Amino acid sequence: MARYLFVRLLDSIPTIFLVLSLVFLAMRILPGDPAIAVLGENARPETIAIFREKFGLNESLWVQYITFLRDMITFDFGTSLMSNTPVTTLIAENIPYTIELTIAAMIIGISGGIPLGVWAAVNRNKAPDNGFRLFSLVGYAVPDFYLGAILLIVFALNLGWFPITGAGDGFLDRLHHIVLPALTLAMLKIAFLGRLSRTSLLEVMGRDYVRTARAKGAREPRVIYRHGLRNALLPLSTGLGLSVLTTLSGSVAVELVFNRPGVGRLLIDAITERDYPVIQGGVIVFASIVVLVNLMMEVVYVLVDPRIRVK
Amino acid sequence: MRISRRGLLRSGAAGIAGTAFLPGLLRAQSNDDTLRLGVAANGPRTIDPNQTTQGADNWATEQMFEQLVRPPDGLFAATDEEYVPTLATSWETSDDGLTWVFQLREGVQFHKGYGEMTSEDVVHSFQRAMNDGVNTAVFTNIASIEATGPYEVTFNLKGPDPLFLGSTAFQNGASIVSKKAEEEKGDAFGTDSIGTGPYQLAEFDSSSGATLTRHEDYWGEAAKIGTIEVVYISDTTARTLALVSGELDIIEAVRAPGWIDQVKQRDSSLLVDMTNPGSFMTLHMNLTAAPFDNPLVRKAIATAIDSGQVANALAPMGRPSVTLSPPHYPTGWEAEELPEELRYEYDPDRARELLAEAGHPDGIEFTANISQREDYRSTMLIVQELMRSAGINMNLNVMDHSAYHGANREDQNTLALHAASYPPVPLDYMSRYLSSAAEVKADGTGGGNYSHYGVAIPGVDDKLLEMQLAKTFEEYVSIGRDIELQVQEDLPVLGVMTLGFTAVRSPRIDLGYEVDGGYARWRFHKATKS
Repeated sequence: MARYLFVRLLDSIPTIFLVLSLVFLAMRILPGDPAIAVLGENARPETIAIFREKFGLNESLWVQYITFLRDMITFDFGTSLMSNTPVTTLIAENIPYTIELTIAAMIIGISGGIPLGVWAAVNRNKAPDNGFRLFSLVGYAVPDFYLGAILLIVFALNLGWFPITGAGDGFLDRLHHIVLPALTLAMLKIAFLGRLSRTSLLEVMGRDYVRTARAKGAREPRVIYRHGLRNALLPLSTGLGLSVLTTLSGSVAVELVFNRPGVGRLLIDAITERDYPVIQGGVIVFASIVVLVNLMMEVVYVLVDPRIRVK
Repeated sequence: MRISRRGLLRSGAAGIAGTAFLPGLLRAQSNDDTLRLGVAANGPRTIDPNQTTQGADNWATEQMFEQLVRPPDGLFAATDEEYVPTLATSWETSDDGLTWVFQLREGVQFHKGYGEMTSEDVVHSFQRAMNDGVNTAVFTNIASIEATGPYEVTFNLKGPDPLFLGSTAFQNGASIVSKKAEEEKGDAFGTDSIGTGPYQLAEFDSSSGATLTRHEDYWGEAAKIGTIEVVYISDTTARTLALVSGELDIIEAVRAPGWIDQVKQRDSSLLVDMTNPGSFMTLHMNLTAAPFDNPLVRKAIATAIDSGQVANALAPMGRPSVTLSPPHYPTGWEAEELPEELRYEYDPDRARELLAEAGHPDGIEFTANISQREDYRSTMLIVQELMRSAGINMNLNVMDHSAYHGANREDQNTLALHAASYPPVPLDYMSRYLSSAAEVKADGTGGGNYSHYGVAIPGVDDKLLEMQLAKTFEEYVSIGRDIELQVQEDLPVLGVMTLGFTAVRSPRIDLGYEVDGGYARWRFHKATKS
């Protein structure tokens, strides 16, 4: 298993390299000068020249690319052009917020989505099922930033139950601050995981072993949870992996709307400000998380489905 | 411990519901001794006044640092006489205007026990601004600076400057910092700076903002509010909601049509503070590109734009402008003072006639880039509509703000709108916009003279040099007003309007003075919170 994981990890290196190279090129092809973004549109030419010299922006694209690759190989992500802070420090300061938001959204998504999906499957074509399908349609259709703004207006501004901006200090305050952003992100998870649970459960509920369990007189909750849901977990585990990744990408918009710190917001800010080192650092983090989550899902797959282990 | 499914669900639901009851608990923690300011930016970059390039960062530095002199609170000083002694108590100029001697205030203490300010600190502060600041160009007229006594500093200038206090001494980079602290902290000074102002830095968080606390050993009257929190919120909706909900006390406004009305509809008790002039919104016509190389076309464009209508659309922040300098600046002209042919009063029919004279009887069509930022885009859309009625069809290529200015700096625009705030030091912005030395270049190494004035139409450089060598304020102003007239005649740049910097404030906050002018930030040392 360990050897298998190590090989998969090595396989992911070219992927990360390709992503980084694309980002490097894309940022330099895009119009916009980091020197003007940092120094302001009124910066004098001599000040801009000093800045470009200092950060190697006046070097040829090839020289910049080779320097970039050398830095990446030595894990030197450089310093932010904007704040002059090491990129690793910026990421270290921001990543806990993104992780806590992802975890909170996943907890709400799983604890809401799977029971709702089961409930809908058990009540197939009845009111709960129809209601859930309508809900999941809305969950899919409403964009995160829009839902976030609606939740902000209703629960933070009008009802005053939750704070509008920031991430809070201390456990209680952070919990208080994370509810609305996590709910916003969780809505899509509830819809997605709910539909997936419903479909998977409906599929397994028609299998022979479920019929056998019923024929043996097992009570319906036992049939559903012990025999049905357990076997429906395999596609769900894939769905969970995808959910983690969509939560991460969704966190970008949610961090902006709720003015929460986080890697997503850090990345978007860096893109608008043409802060190349931070963009590159942020992309490495996201690409690495994608690779790690995929690896983790493969492990989960093996654990959940003994047939794979046998193969 | 065994956790049952039902138990887990029950506690999860209770936990989420429970957080809704936290507001009362947490709000009780916030007190009336804290002013929370929401600024329109992603996050603080630095707190070193010599390195700030992001306007929002200056809200914190404004509270923490002081210069030798300052204008009165809430104003710009139009002449040197209007400056208020701050870290200097008095100053003298030699007859030739080349030497300035400042007497320093005694007993001024730096933040966090870094000792008393002396002439060594002042010399050090100016030297770092001249050698290592982000705006070294404004200090190039200083030949040398010496500590001529423990509380006396002498500046030797290369040329006379009747506006030395405004052009040099009251610059951000001229903020006085502790030499000892800077040498001790090194690079960390950028996020742990030491000044003499009424507030000192308590915390700097690169993702959320800065917290300042009262400087108890301040030389002047101590600040009334104990803590200032500068919170960075770039999203305009989140910032606005945070103000309306009471989470913030003051926010930077969005300079877009109707925004103030919308906010006031939410809460009519909110107060609006605004600087005049704020940003100069100027249109730069590329004299090297057809049809803008034709003076009749430029006059047609000037006649097709109604500055009053543009300003009205952005009221109350917008104010009409007739020349490059706003009317109340030293070299500015009121419309009625100008010769009639240089007023370019709005007249679309006359604009069509001018186009016909220029050989364009069917009007003209061209493409211009514009930034997607609210103030740029709104202004240019109104200009586009006004020009259309005169047969001038401008197609707009909307770009992100950074890309827009990058393209402008590479001479890729035809009619470039530029927004910038300047103190009443006309030589500064005239040099940036008009001199041949600042001409924009295709390789991006040029300056902000997007029109190529001084090169495509030579002559202004000599006038600017005369202005630079003027020994008296009167002479300086007289030459500057002549340049304004010449610019009105040649029309490389058109003043469209000025757009005030605006902040919206909770009625609980009393600033202690009226904001009427000045840079896009103001001090809170007199503010109280009820």
